[in-house]
Amino acid sequence: MQKQHKGTFSRILMAASLAATTLFTAMPARTVADETCQSPYMAKIVGQEDFVYVWTLGVDGLGDGQDKLVTVDVNPKSMNYGKVINSLSVGGRNEAHHSGFTDDRRYLWAGGLDTNKLFIFDVHTDPAKPQLHKVVTDFVAKSGGVVGPHTTYALPGRMMITGLSNNQDHGGRTALVEYTNEGEYVATHWIPTDQNLQGAKKGGNFADGYGYDIRALPRRNVMVTSSFTGWSNYMMDFGKMLQDKEAMKRFGNTVVVWDLHTRKPKKVLDVPGAPLEVRCAWESENNWCLTTTALTSKIWMIYEDETGEWQAKEIADVGDPSKVPLPVDISLLADDSGLWVNTFMDGTSRFFDLSDPHNPKQTYEKKIAAQVNMVSESWDGKRAYYTSSLLANWDKKGQDNEQYFKAYHWDGKQLTEQFSIDFVKEKLGRAHQMRFGAYSLYANNRSTEKGQSAVAAK
Amino acid sequence: MSVIKQHGIYAIAVILLSALMTHSPLAAPAREQPAVVAPFYTKAEYPPPKVGSYKLPPFGVAADGRVIDADGKEGRLHDFFGHGKIILLSFIYSTCSDVNGCPLATAVMYDIQRKIKNDPVLRDRLQMLSLSFDPVYDTPEVLSLYGGGYADAGNWRFLTTASWKELEPILDSYNQPVIRDVDEQGRELSTFSHILRVFLIDPEKRIRNIYSVSFLYPELIINDAKTILQDSVPKYERYSPNELIKVSELSRPGDYKGGYETSGYVTQSQSVAERTGEKADLSHYLVRPPLGLPAIPQPEDNPVTHAKVELGRKLFFDRRLSLNDTFSCAMCHIPEQGFTNHELAIAVGLEGRSGRRNSPTIYNTGYLSRLFHDGREESLEQQVWGPLLAVNEMANPSVGAVIGKIRKIPDYAGMFEAAFNGRGVSMETLGMAIASYERLLVSGNSPFDRWHYGGETNILSESAKRGYALFTGKAGCVSCHQIGTEAALFTDDAMHNTGVGYRESMGIKPEKEKILVAPGVYLEVDREIIDAVGHPPPADVGLYEVTQNPHDRWKYHTPSLRNIALTAPYMHNGSLSTLREVVDFYNEGGIENELLDVRIKPLGLSEGEREDLVAFLESLTGDNVDTIIADAFAAPIGDITEADPNWANQKASHE
Repeated sequence: MQKQHKGTFSRILMAASLAATTLFTAMPARTVADETCQSPYMAKIVGQEDFVYVWTLGVDGLGDGQDKLVTVDVNPKSMNYGKVINSLSVGGRNEAHHSGFTDDRRYLWAGGLDTNKLFIFDVHTDPAKPQLHKVVTDFVAKSGGVVGPHTTYALPGRMMITGLSNNQDHGGRTALVEYTNEGEYVATHWIPTDQNLQGAKKGGNFADGYGYDIRALPRRNVMVTSSFTGWSNYMMDFGKMLQDKEAMKRFGNTVVVWDLHTRKPKKVLDVPGAPLEVRCAWESENNWCLTTTALTSKIWMIYEDETGEWQAKEIADVGDPSKVPLPVDISLLADDSGLWVNTFMDGTSRFFDLSDPHNPKQTYEKKIAAQVNMVSESWDGKRAYYTSSLLANWDKKGQDNEQYFKAYHWDGKQLTEQFSIDFVKEKLGRAHQMRFGAYSLYANNRSTEKGQSAVAAK
Repeated sequence: MSVIKQHGIYAIAVILLSALMTHSPLAAPAREQPAVVAPFYTKAEYPPPKVGSYKLPPFGVAADGRVIDADGKEGRLHDFFGHGKIILLSFIYSTCSDVNGCPLATAVMYDIQRKIKNDPVLRDRLQMLSLSFDPVYDTPEVLSLYGGGYADAGNWRFLTTASWKELEPILDSYNQPVIRDVDEQGRELSTFSHILRVFLIDPEKRIRNIYSVSFLYPELIINDAKTILQDSVPKYERYSPNELIKVSELSRPGDYKGGYETSGYVTQSQSVAERTGEKADLSHYLVRPPLGLPAIPQPEDNPVTHAKVELGRKLFFDRRLSLNDTFSCAMCHIPEQGFTNHELAIAVGLEGRSGRRNSPTIYNTGYLSRLFHDGREESLEQQVWGPLLAVNEMANPSVGAVIGKIRKIPDYAGMFEAAFNGRGVSMETLGMAIASYERLLVSGNSPFDRWHYGGETNILSESAKRGYALFTGKAGCVSCHQIGTEAALFTDDAMHNTGVGYRESMGIKPEKEKILVAPGVYLEVDREIIDAVGHPPPADVGLYEVTQNPHDRWKYHTPSLRNIALTAPYMHNGSLSTLREVVDFYNEGGIENELLDVRIKPLGLSEGEREDLVAFLESLTGDNVDTIIADAFAAPIGDITEADPNWANQKASHE
């Protein structure tokens, strides 16, 4: 069965991408829904998303205590709207964090920042009931010592995985690791260090070799990576870390611009204060990406100047930096006209108007809860979903440790809550990364897939 | 005059010195200007070599001394070096009239200051210093006038000294003889004869170039400075003035953070992929320990053998020895970080669980009879199991779980049997193997040992020698950090209360904490923000936890001071970042509490004395550190491979 599947894989892939292209060109006026922050290489959902897959951290003493992929039904027309319809435990607490689909959107890859496992879920056989397809357990050994698989980013036929740490000192120096969609190791691309800049230009004072997120801007042939911190810091008690003078020196201060084609670093830019999520513009004239720095609370723009040189500049403060609001997840609108920025410490989601992208202005804010981390919005910008957890040991302690999934509607002026799921009450855990699923993605195979599900269910 | 047209700086130099002449009380007769002026005034004879295309090996240590700045503030010359900076040091005097002398140095430095104004690398990383060799006439006021125009950028300071007595040792150590000029009647003039020497000094205070008139070009100096910043020459090498002693190339963290507290911080990161080493046979230390160390004690039932050491080393670096395959011994005892962890004051264990104390070094632990900060264990063989089973360290659920797992790992097949006469892996053999490796991590033959036990009189700097006198005298450090007649362990292997633990348990935290959020960027963060995201720290009462005797509250084990320069941060809770902070702590008499050790009292050490103590502590680094680290790097890091049984995902693998 598996072999047969592999043999037809490239044809299916091609069919899927052809189908996606056809849908886009044939029905431009139709509402297209998807979170806006994923790989441009990836197939898109047509219409309303049916599911949100929430990669959830197990909590010792809560339910089975394991990490799990939780499926929430988000289609208002469904009988199960607003309910958890599936929960798939994967074993252990792995510091579940980010996840991403393969370009054909048949598999969801989810990383464990602690145990370095990659969980590959089959989401196409039955989108309502993902199955654990494969677990990669030798990521560290295969990659030559990379620890903390973070972003799983779709490139054609391949997954680019950013690391956060290494197996030598659990510090921040790390690499990008490339796998095939089938889960075979391809290559390790180390983030440039002073000892080996790999031909990259050091644009300022720093070449720390740290990693975090990755996005590509294919029309400019660049990849952009950001930098967070190593295992010791992201795993430890947040309050303890803030008071550890040595630990606080171990945060990333760089963004690296890479040649997408050759996978060679081109330039290391100084972006001090732990730049996290990277979002690249969608519009063809916008040769820039945005990131926010967690510790210094600023929005930075990574842009190509008139001479074709890549530069970084800070373009706005997020909240009052002296209060450490801690900007975490961000979401860029599909037409680049605005940016959602969540600040963890005050549990607030903030909307920045990007009419002048070089000069963002905050025009709206709403407190979501005592703490907030991730935000995912639909392609049309009308729906936004929120989750609570940042990292197991960084989340708030005591009563403020609210763990939830919340769905909102956005009318351009305000966010209105539709429903909320308490992940503690449901004995699920800490809700983190969200990815959208839909039956419509797999329309060609739908009847067959359903048939298989039925057989499996017996 | 055509010269002036070619280079405006010449004009600046001439104007500068003529302006200063008017302030001179006893103006020297105008010198005859030399027929050949320095190339700087005309044109460099060759383009400077490309940055990084060459090496500037260090050749000596830049000496220290007492100086005064143009504001009249007294301090040590090294204080003005700053953190992580390249230093360009010239010796001048304000009434100098030789156009190829001090004015040349000043003009070149002025030109460098202009050239690096917008240079992102050097702007904040090159510190220029001009030290006067005329303590009599060049008062702070005169220097303030002389250097006033250049001081604004903040990267050029003008210094003088209080007297000839203060100045002379500095000039001697920089090999910068000066002779006061006299007139025909033998009366002293205000001028001096000297050779122009300008020193380029790296952040480790090592001299990397000395420029003379013939090649004092701004472009060349700039490229040299950048080359030094770029090169990967080890940061922990130390040289005595008389002999180049290589201490260590490898004992430096891969992610260097020196100077991170300042906006001038520049990364010096090492490549993870290029960390490779070479296996060494450390067992010859059993026959002949390094100078300054006694024979390595070996338990009767566990004599060190090659096979045990080999096996122990493999185990030490195997991350599979923890519950979820993420922690080896070496994740907290990192070879290139002094077999401790520079990146954390207090250790973090499995799943990020909070430790209570700083990771201690493994160097020279084979000599100790009390292990752990609270002294609760008595042999390395037994100590090994502490971290393996501690829930906030490697968190294995049981001895059996560890033994069972090792039995399943294919690459250990037969290794225990070979090392222990057919005995397989067991609680006992595992402890014996790791202890055998650790026992050989002895490090001595330091500059101190070669001086004190080896009789090499010139191996130690004068400052370190003074530091030794303080260590064994006025400061009284030696009463706990003992030095014997044949050997020195620098520890009494006993337990003491210094007040550090008392402060941690009983101290009141400030309402705001100053937190470093980026290089040189601090925020004052409210305590309530910190408390919202953190659990309260676990209690720590030291030896009391072992004995239950209230007299033992907050007593901790005296660490050895060998390789102390490599094992920051310091104290059982990692609360002090530098050796200087440690010396200051003891100089103030520790933290007052009813159980404070009687030997700890205010010492009244001067600034210079404290620096001397630090210099002494820095002389305790063994000469074999590189060998030990290279050997450690050669050990494979144990991570799960395809060959391992898939113990945590059995079901998934069968699907």
